[in-house]
Amino acid sequence: MADLVLRSITKKYGNTTVIDKLDLEVKSGEFVTLLGPSGCGKTTLLRMIAGLETIENGELFIGGKNYNNTPPQKRRIAMVFQSYALFPHMSVMQNIIFGLRISKAKPDIIKQKLSWVVPLLHLKGLEDRLPREISGGQRQRVALARALVLDPDVLLLDEPLSNLDAALRETAIEELKRVHRHVGKTIIYVTHNQVEAMTMSERIALLNAGRIEQYDKPKLIYDFPKTVFCAEFIGSPPINFVNGEICVEQHYSGVKTEIGFLKLDRERTEKIHDLAGKKVLVGIRPQSIYFIEHLAQRRHTDTHIALTVELVENLGDRSLVVGRCGDGPIVRFIMTREEDVLPERKMTVFVDGRRIHLFDPLTRLNIFRENGTI
Amino acid sequence: MISSFFCNSIEWIKKAWPLIPAALYLTGFQIIVFVYLCTLSFSDQNIDLPSIHQYTQLFSDNSFRQALFNTVLFTLIGTPLELLTGFFLALLLYQSFFLRGLIRSIFLIPLAIPALVTAMLLYILFDYPGGHINHLLTGGYPPFPAFLSQPVNWRGSALFAMGISLLGKVWRDMPISMLILLAGLNSIDPELFDAAKTMGASFRKRILNIMLPLMLPSISTVLLLRTVEMWKEFIFPYILAGRYRLLGTLIDFYYYSVGNSHKAAAVAMIMVLCILISTVMLFKTLELMQKAIYKR
Amino acid sequence: MLFSKQLPIAYNKRFLWAVGIILAVLMVLGPVYLLIKYSISDIGSINTGGEPIPLWPYNPTLQSYIYLFTDKHFYQVIFSSFIVAFSTVVFSMVIGVPAAYILGRYHIPGRKLVLLGIISVRLFPDIVSVIPITEFFINTGLHQTFAGVILAHSLLALPYVIFIGIGAFESIPLDLEQQAWVMGANRYQTFMKILMPLAVPGLAAAAIYTFLLSWDEFIFAYYIVFGRQELFTLTLYLNGIKHAAPQNLLAAISVCLSVPVVIFSFMVQRYMIAGISTGSVK
Repeated sequence: MADLVLRSITKKYGNTTVIDKLDLEVKSGEFVTLLGPSGCGKTTLLRMIAGLETIENGELFIGGKNYNNTPPQKRRIAMVFQSYALFPHMSVMQNIIFGLRISKAKPDIIKQKLSWVVPLLHLKGLEDRLPREISGGQRQRVALARALVLDPDVLLLDEPLSNLDAALRETAIEELKRVHRHVGKTIIYVTHNQVEAMTMSERIALLNAGRIEQYDKPKLIYDFPKTVFCAEFIGSPPINFVNGEICVEQHYSGVKTEIGFLKLDRERTEKIHDLAGKKVLVGIRPQSIYFIEHLAQRRHTDTHIALTVELVENLGDRSLVVGRCGDGPIVRFIMTREEDVLPERKMTVFVDGRRIHLFDPLTRLNIFRENGTI
Repeated sequence: MISSFFCNSIEWIKKAWPLIPAALYLTGFQIIVFVYLCTLSFSDQNIDLPSIHQYTQLFSDNSFRQALFNTVLFTLIGTPLELLTGFFLALLLYQSFFLRGLIRSIFLIPLAIPALVTAMLLYILFDYPGGHINHLLTGGYPPFPAFLSQPVNWRGSALFAMGISLLGKVWRDMPISMLILLAGLNSIDPELFDAAKTMGASFRKRILNIMLPLMLPSISTVLLLRTVEMWKEFIFPYILAGRYRLLGTLIDFYYYSVGNSHKAAAVAMIMVLCILISTVMLFKTLELMQKAIYKR
Repeated sequence: MLFSKQLPIAYNKRFLWAVGIILAVLMVLGPVYLLIKYSISDIGSINTGGEPIPLWPYNPTLQSYIYLFTDKHFYQVIFSSFIVAFSTVVFSMVIGVPAAYILGRYHIPGRKLVLLGIISVRLFPDIVSVIPITEFFINTGLHQTFAGVILAHSLLALPYVIFIGIGAFESIPLDLEQQAWVMGANRYQTFMKILMPLAVPGLAAAAIYTFLLSWDEFIFAYYIVFGRQELFTLTLYLNGIKHAAPQNLLAAISVCLSVPVVIFSFMVQRYMIAGISTGSVK
C-alpha cells in the first residue's frame, strides 16, 4: 500500500493537450474516482499511472518513489481494463494466477492466494471455465481477482462496470465497496457515471478538458460545486441555470433573476453586501425546488415562483416537471407522485434559498469559497 | 538533422527489430533482381559496357514483336473476360439460397487446383487428333451436333493455342475476381435496391444506375490486379501454346532454349515496363470514369 | 455478416438464375470430373483408335495410381516436394511471423511504406524475377540445390505469411497485451504466452498456405533445379514426362498433386479469402 502523488502532469498528442499541468494526491488506502465526460483525459491519466502512456512532463510518485520512467512491468500496480482483457485461451484460474506465475511465485503462495481471493469474489466452481463460458458479472469479478492477487500498491480500475447492465451494476458496486473495505488498497477508479462515483469513492476528482475542476468528498462536490462545470456534471436531473443580479436592499437582499427574486440564507445574505449589482449565474438543483399546498409550511428562506407546466416526465416514484416562468427560462423540478400535475397547469413552487448556487459568469467559479466566505 | 535522423533510426530499430529479417530478405532479393536485370539487359556476352544493344535488337526481332502483340491481345481480351465471369459467378451467389455455402466452395475449386494441373488437363482435352474436344466437335457424342468434319490441331494453330491458354487462365482465376466482386456487392446496402424499386426503377435500371456505380471500386480493383496477372502469364502458354509465345514464354525461350540470359533479361525489363505503363494508364482511366460517374 | 444481404430479383428471373447456377457448377466441376476420369481410365479408354473417348472409362482401374505408388522414383519426388515445402514453411514463418507481429500490432513509422513494398513483391512477375535470381544462384552456388528453391519459395511466400499474420495479430485486442504488461510480463513473455496462442489459427493458415504455394510452385523450381533429376519436385516431374507418359498417368499425377491442395485450401478458405481481399485493398 502506498500513497500516490501526481505533480504537474502534462500530456500532449501533437498540438492537442490532453492533460494540462495536473496535480493530484491520493492517500494510502484511499478510494479515489476520476470522474468526467468522455475525452476529459481520465483514462489517459490512468494509463499514465499504469505506465502504458509515457510521462514527458511532470512527475509521478508512488510511495514516495518516482515512477516516471518505470515500465509497466516494474510498477507495483494492477489494472482492470474496461474490456476486462481476460485472456480468452486461459481458464479462470489460469487467468488469476498468470501474474503470480510470471513473477515466479512459489506453488504454496499461489495456492494460498487463490484460497483467499476465490471466496472473496465468489468465484468458487468457476475455476476451470473459460472466460467466454461465464457471465459478464463473473468476468468482472475474475478481472478484479486477477488484479488483487498481485497485491499491488495501487489498484487501477478503468470503467469496470460500464459493460454490465443496470441491475448487475448495483450489486457490483456493493461488491467493490466491500472488497475495498476488506483489502484496504489504494484504488483509482475511472468512470463517467456519477452514481458509481458518488456511491463508492472517498474522494472524487472531477476532470474536464484535462484539468481537475474539483477534488473533494462526494457530498461536498454535490453540495458545493466549485465551478459551473461541476454543478452541471453532478446531479440528475441536471441543474437549472438562470441569469441574475445581486440585489442588496435594507430588508430585501438576494438575487434578482429571470424567474423572480430569490432569497438566500441569512449567512450568505450578509456576505454579498459588497457585491450589489453584480451579474451572477444562479444554479438551482431540481431537488431544491418543491411544491407545497399551504404557504404556511414554507421556510423563511424560501421564495415562491410562478410557472406554467409544459411537460411531465414520469420517473416511477416521482415526476420530473418541466415548467416555464412566463416568457422566461425553463425550470425543471421534482415532484412526488401524490399530486397529479398536467401540462398547462399554472402553479406556484418554492425555491430553497439555502441551496442555490451563485457563480461568476466570467470566471465560471462559485462566488463563495468552501467555508462560506467570499 | 543527421544526428536526429540517426537517433530516430535507433529508436525505430529498438521498436521494430523483429521486422528487420523479413524486410532485409525482401529488399535484398528486390535489389538482387533489380541489379541483375539491369546489368544483364544492358550488356552482352561480348560487350560489358552499358549498351542498349539488346533492346535495339529486340525491336527488330520478329518473334519479340509477335510475342508483344500476343501479350497485348491476351491482356485486352483476358481481363474483361475474367471480370465478366467473376461478375457472373458473384451475381449468382448474391442471393440467399439453400446450399449457398457449398456452391461458393465449389466455385472456389479452380483456385485450389494447381495451374500446372489445369494446363495439363487442357493439354489432354485438346489433344490432336484424339481428345475429348475434337471428338465432341466432330459429333462423337450424339445428340451433340457435329461442328467439324475434321479434327483440329488446337495446339498447332496460333489462334487456338492462344485461345486455350486464355481459357485455362480465365477458368483458374475467375474465383479471385468473384470474391472481390462479391465483397463489393455485399458492401452495398440492399435497401438502396428496395428504395429504387419503390421509385419504379426496372431491374435493368437498378443494375445500371445503382449497382454498377457502387461497384466501380471493386471493378477497378479486379481490372488493375487482373491486368498485371495477364501480362505476367507464363504457365498456360508454356504448356499449351508451344511455339506461339507471350512475353512470359519468350523470356523462357531466350533463357532456356537460346541460352541468352541478356536477351531474356531485356524482355523481362520490357515486361515490367509494360505492366507499369498499363497500370498507370488504367488507373488514370478508372479515376476519370469514377469522376464522370459521380458528377453525373 | 458477409453473406446475409441479397439482391432482390423478380420471381420470373428465378428460372434464369437457376440455369446460371447449373451452368456455372458444370463449368467448374466438368473439368474436375474429366481429370479424375482420366486418372482411373484403362489404356483402352484413352487410345480408342478413332472411337470417341468414353465419358466413363470402359474398365475403370486404379492401375495408374498403383503404378505410381509402387515406383520408388515417385516416392522420391513426393519426398522432395515435401522437404522443399516444409522447409519453406519453417523458414518463411520464422522470419515472417515476427514481422507480421510488428506490422499487426504497432503503428511504427513507415508502416505503410513497408506494406506497399510487400504488395509490390507479390505483384512482381515470377517469370521476370526468376531470371536474375537464377543467375544470382549460379554465381553463389545455390543453383541446382534445394536450398536455392527453398529460398526462392520463401520469397514468394513471405508476403502471404506477413499479410495473413498481420490479420491474425491485428484481431487480438491491445488490452490483452497491455494487461499482461501490467501484470509483470515482459515483451517476450507476452508474445509467447498471450499473443502466440491467440494467433495460432491464423498462423496455421499462413503455414498451410505457404506449404501449398511451395507444393504446386513450378517456375522457380524449374529454373533453379534446372534439369537435375534427383531434385525433381512433383510439378517438375509432371512437366518432365508430359510428352512421354500416357494420359491416364499424367492425370493420376495431377490428382496426387491437387488433392492435398484442394483439401487444405478449404481448411484455410476463410483466410485465403481474407488474404485476397487484403491484397485488393490498395
